[in-house]
Amino acid sequence: MIRQPAAATALLVVAAGVALCLGTPYVAPHRLPAALSGDGLEGVILTELRLPRLVLALAAGACLGAAGLVLQEALRNPLAVPEMIGVSSGAALGVAAPLVLALSMPAAVVPLLALGGAVIGGVLTLAAAGFGRSPAAVLLTGAAVSAALQAGLLVLMVLADQLDLQLIYRYLLGSLSARTWDDVSGLWPWLVVAVPALVLCAPVLGVLRLGDDDARAMGVRVRRARLGALAIAIVLIAPVVAVCGPVAWVGFLAPQLARRLRPAADARAWLLWSAVWGALIVLCADQPARLALAPVETPVGAWTALLGVPAGVALLRVRRPAGATRPSGGSHSPRTVPGGDR
Amino acid sequence: MARAPRPTGAPEPARLGAAAKLGLLLGLLAVALCAQMTVGRSPGAAGVWEVLTGSGEPTARHIVVQLRMPRALVSLGAGASLGLAGLLLQSALRNPLAGPEVTGVTPGAVLGAVTATGLGLAGWESPTAVVVAACAGGFLGAGLLWLLAGREKGDPEQTAVYGVLVSAVLAGLTAVVLLVAPGELGSVVQWLIGSTEGRVWEHWSLLWPWALVWAAAACALAAPLTLLRCGDDQATAAGLAVGRARGAALVCAVALTAGAVSAVGALGFVGLLVPHLGLAVFGADLRVTLPGAALIGAVVVCGADAAAQSLSRLLVEGLDAGRLTVPVGALTTCVGAVLLLVVARRQGAGPG
Repeated sequence: MIRQPAAATALLVVAAGVALCLGTPYVAPHRLPAALSGDGLEGVILTELRLPRLVLALAAGACLGAAGLVLQEALRNPLAVPEMIGVSSGAALGVAAPLVLALSMPAAVVPLLALGGAVIGGVLTLAAAGFGRSPAAVLLTGAAVSAALQAGLLVLMVLADQLDLQLIYRYLLGSLSARTWDDVSGLWPWLVVAVPALVLCAPVLGVLRLGDDDARAMGVRVRRARLGALAIAIVLIAPVVAVCGPVAWVGFLAPQLARRLRPAADARAWLLWSAVWGALIVLCADQPARLALAPVETPVGAWTALLGVPAGVALLRVRRPAGATRPSGGSHSPRTVPGGDR
Repeated sequence: MARAPRPTGAPEPARLGAAAKLGLLLGLLAVALCAQMTVGRSPGAAGVWEVLTGSGEPTARHIVVQLRMPRALVSLGAGASLGLAGLLLQSALRNPLAGPEVTGVTPGAVLGAVTATGLGLAGWESPTAVVVAACAGGFLGAGLLWLLAGREKGDPEQTAVYGVLVSAVLAGLTAVVLLVAPGELGSVVQWLIGSTEGRVWEHWSLLWPWALVWAAAACALAAPLTLLRCGDDQATAAGLAVGRARGAALVCAVALTAGAVSAVGALGFVGLLVPHLGLAVFGADLRVTLPGAALIGAVVVCGADAAAQSLSRLLVEGLDAGRLTVPVGALTTCVGAVLLLVVARRQGAGPG
């Protein structure tokens, strides 16, 4: 399949072009190189506003997509997304709490707070679920833990005054507006840790999805592997949430797309492609977020939630053969891939 | 709630009859109501008693009659509605995880109410429109789930998955509406989590006829629903029009949820967990369990509201904060989450 990389690249180029050209002021495509190298008004806007936003969208999407795939494979459930195991809400709580309580924080600490919140959310889920004993229990407890964390967030929002409230609300939906190179540079130290870990854990993921018993038979210590996968997912999600907020449902849609478009591939290829599709999803969703209601910006997370969930549901439905009674949402159902068995 | 099998020959322990249990619950409800009436700051228990017996100073009288009584009654009505709606949903869909929160009914009702408020069609001065909008939204959510579930309505796990997704979409829509009309954000946030703050007689006079009508309808459905719980085939064999019974139950559930949501907002986990409690206490005969679940819901929400109020007072005194109220929804959500964890642990420990 040579067509898919080409299509992804074309989509990427078009979306990046749109991201750089459209907006106020409009920069015509043929003037992009000149504007990027020049230091006029257009050059400043391009290099200081639109370019970091583009990079951030790509990085955030790639992280969320990859984290989504890691979670879904490790828990063997297409609904195991960052939003539903308490990681996203924990990180959001970590960022929102100092804002409401009017504690002044240096910017460098914010990712640490998000990481702390994400770890607390994730560990709460795991501890309550008996450290990865059964995937179904992890998911159900995750729903409970994230509901409780959401309640904490809402209590904070009740306390906040009107201005803080709008800020927090926007942040909670996931927004890329007014992000600069500082935010981007806050992201890469985490990626330096996470990417090698991802590469190392990819083969284990492929074994985990065979099921606990088979994986154990092949010499994988299942609980430890699952814990490790969750830890990597937390390291991927927390810095993104710290910078952009929990951009919803990217971790749900990107792995679905990756699997759907490459049914015959293995976990390693899916990991790569979920990162690619995640980056593309966030980049594409950021364009209506910037432009649809201009000059007012809408949070990108609202668009990913509105468009991502129906798309994901459609993919979930199509993948199942008609008339099949096996629930694909069930944690015990093996993932049947059309044409996947050779 | 699985009970350990008793060895044959062991004597059955003395069980309370259903009537005694209902009486006990009524007593509990009275206790919760008393707690809620006396929990506030200025008139204590003695002051409240004075007001109720006819004497008492005007300020105390105003606080008790105009503020505390309607608040207590509204939380009672909303709790009962949510408990009933949850049990109806779980029985009709044969799914122990089908609370109004995760079948799109509550998120839909919130979306309807928020949209109506945002468009200026309804406001706190015209609560009728809020109920209507919440109802429309609730039906929208339930209808979406119905469409999505398609032919697999009998598959509880699949329905639960679609319910969660429908709820996510509706919550996203609500967020967008709130972004377009940000002026409402302050008043709506309280309400996204569920609060009984500042409910007055108007809310109560709007809630009770609605809740009463639909609760009566629900109780009339008790016998067919009990059959439905046994499975579609058995129900059909017993001569029940399965589709019609299920539809009627769903309509009742949506209407009850919409009424409760428009009165107190989206109280978390009440509709999901109260039915489990009801079934554990009263057993699977819905003719008893439906009123029982309503009572348990009322007790839970009243008690949670009293606890939330005293918690906020403690926090204000302890932290020396000027304004701090714990919405009752935060409390029910946290307690509900812990309960859900217990349920999940039991499932994880059991086989499969």
